[in-house]
Amino acid sequence: MRGAWAVCKREFAGYFTTPVGYLVVGTFAVITGLGFAASFLFYAKVSAAPSEYAYSGVPDFEETLLSPFLVFAGMVIMFIGPLVTMRLLAEEKNRGTMELLFTHPLRDRDIVFGKYLAALGMLIVMIAVLSVHLGIVAHFVVVEPAVLAFGLLTVFLMGAAFMSLGLFVSSMTSSQVTAGTMAFALWLVSYIIGSLGEDMPTANPAPETWPETLRAAVAFLYGLLRALVQELPLDAHAQEMAQGVFEPKDIAYYVLFTAFFLFLTFRALDSRKWRA
Amino acid sequence: MIEVEGLTKRYGPIAAIDGVTFSVAQGEVIGFLGPNGAGKTTTMRILTGFSPPTRGTARVAGFDVLAEPLEVKRRVGYLPETVPLYPEMVVSKFLAYVAEIKGIARSRRRAEVGRVIERCGVGPVATRLVRNVSKGFRQRIGLAQALIGSPPVLILDEPTVGLDPQQIVEIREMIRCLAQEHTVLLSTHILPEVTMVCGRVLIIRRGRIVAQDTMANLAGAGRPRAFTVEADGPAEPLLGALRAVPGVAFAEAERAGRFRLKALVGADIAPGVAEAVIGAGGRLRMLAECTRTLEDVFMDVIASDAGGER
Repeated sequence: MRGAWAVCKREFAGYFTTPVGYLVVGTFAVITGLGFAASFLFYAKVSAAPSEYAYSGVPDFEETLLSPFLVFAGMVIMFIGPLVTMRLLAEEKNRGTMELLFTHPLRDRDIVFGKYLAALGMLIVMIAVLSVHLGIVAHFVVVEPAVLAFGLLTVFLMGAAFMSLGLFVSSMTSSQVTAGTMAFALWLVSYIIGSLGEDMPTANPAPETWPETLRAAVAFLYGLLRALVQELPLDAHAQEMAQGVFEPKDIAYYVLFTAFFLFLTFRALDSRKWRA
Repeated sequence: MIEVEGLTKRYGPIAAIDGVTFSVAQGEVIGFLGPNGAGKTTTMRILTGFSPPTRGTARVAGFDVLAEPLEVKRRVGYLPETVPLYPEMVVSKFLAYVAEIKGIARSRRRAEVGRVIERCGVGPVATRLVRNVSKGFRQRIGLAQALIGSPPVLILDEPTVGLDPQQIVEIREMIRCLAQEHTVLLSTHILPEVTMVCGRVLIIRRGRIVAQDTMANLAGAGRPRAFTVEADGPAEPLLGALRAVPGVAFAEAERAGRFRLKALVGADIAPGVAEAVIGAGGRLRMLAECTRTLEDVFMDVIASDAGGER
């Protein structure tokens, strides 16, 4: 794993010897900072006069402000995440430095994990920015530490899953623009589909006049589609987790998502051995 | 040091190389010569473990490139055709990075980087960004990168391409020095380069090795010597006299006052030619042997190979 560490160090340093790293962290700080200020001011307004906003008392701080803000931060990470992931492998291919990596004593896993760790490094920098806001909050308000920690873990898992998707896309092309656009598009599409899922009716769409077996088949397929649409998007499992609700399946979702795309990245790198 | 047998690499229906077989002994400098697109880079990429062959075996320093790629990669220094560099890195940092992925122990890294910087004359740009370094220095950095860890085998893909004449001479000089410690496989399509640097030549064309021999053998042995003669005087009698010299197989007038001669194999005709010119009432201005250049060899080989294909 020494090779992975070397690859990771160079890649991570690369973010900050080019403008990309500053751009990503700066954009993230500005957007989350403004978002945090806005939601905090709104929360203050509601707390001052709960009845005007149809609350019976002062609304729960974690539930009303903290968790939605953390989910929002996770979305922002995915919004600018393509900037982090698009260069990972596409740039090496484009510059011909892939030849350097492939002709030195590195295993594929050194390359994949090294790159992925570098992207996670950027994620951790972003979460560090986020914890500045949260640190200020924790100074003035009593926040349940478990909720805070779990919320940050949620943001991390969302980001980590997205980075694995971005890494895979970057392994497919030698153009950074393509890699970035693809990662962004995949996220956006999954987000839009996810928001449709909330409105999908539960009833079987097949007409009652159809034969029983056909109706059952349609019901099964529709149920599968509905479940996929609702469960697959990257933010689908974040809402409850960010409120501190521990569900093993939510964590499993993110871990499996990440593992799946890392696996695909390995396959994509391996394809150089048989592709013409 | 390098043993290649029946190496074939297909890209779909096209065979980039087809049944390439050769071997390189330890300490040899071998020139890999061929027109662009003949399969030089493909062969080198297989030897460095960059891409696997479709068929055939390749062993470097005793390790099979497919079975033990990491062992091979530890023993090979590779300079690809386009030098792989990160423009945003400082030159010495880049070399340190290469040393790290080459698996050089941390304690030896600094000394090793210093050694290759010294060796390749990269010192003047060591603290600059790669982006701001000239083409000639980039090539040197590439060479320095290949030398890290003193690998026993060096594979250099067109190391002098795109350099100015001064830099070409410098790089060649460097390669000649390297030959004392390393086994070198060098590809080029520049013929004099091979003459100057390599002990043995492989000529590859359309994915097949069409000739392999020492430079001396390819360039001369067993072939008739040719001469150029320049002389003032009456053209017809001069030509007649030259044709009459014993050992001359063929003579013709190239233009006024200039003749081309071919000798029979093994015949030494120079003294006879000089006497003949004077005897015919001419004044001898020049008598020179035409050395067979590699261009001739190359064209011969390609011509005979093309003939064989038909």
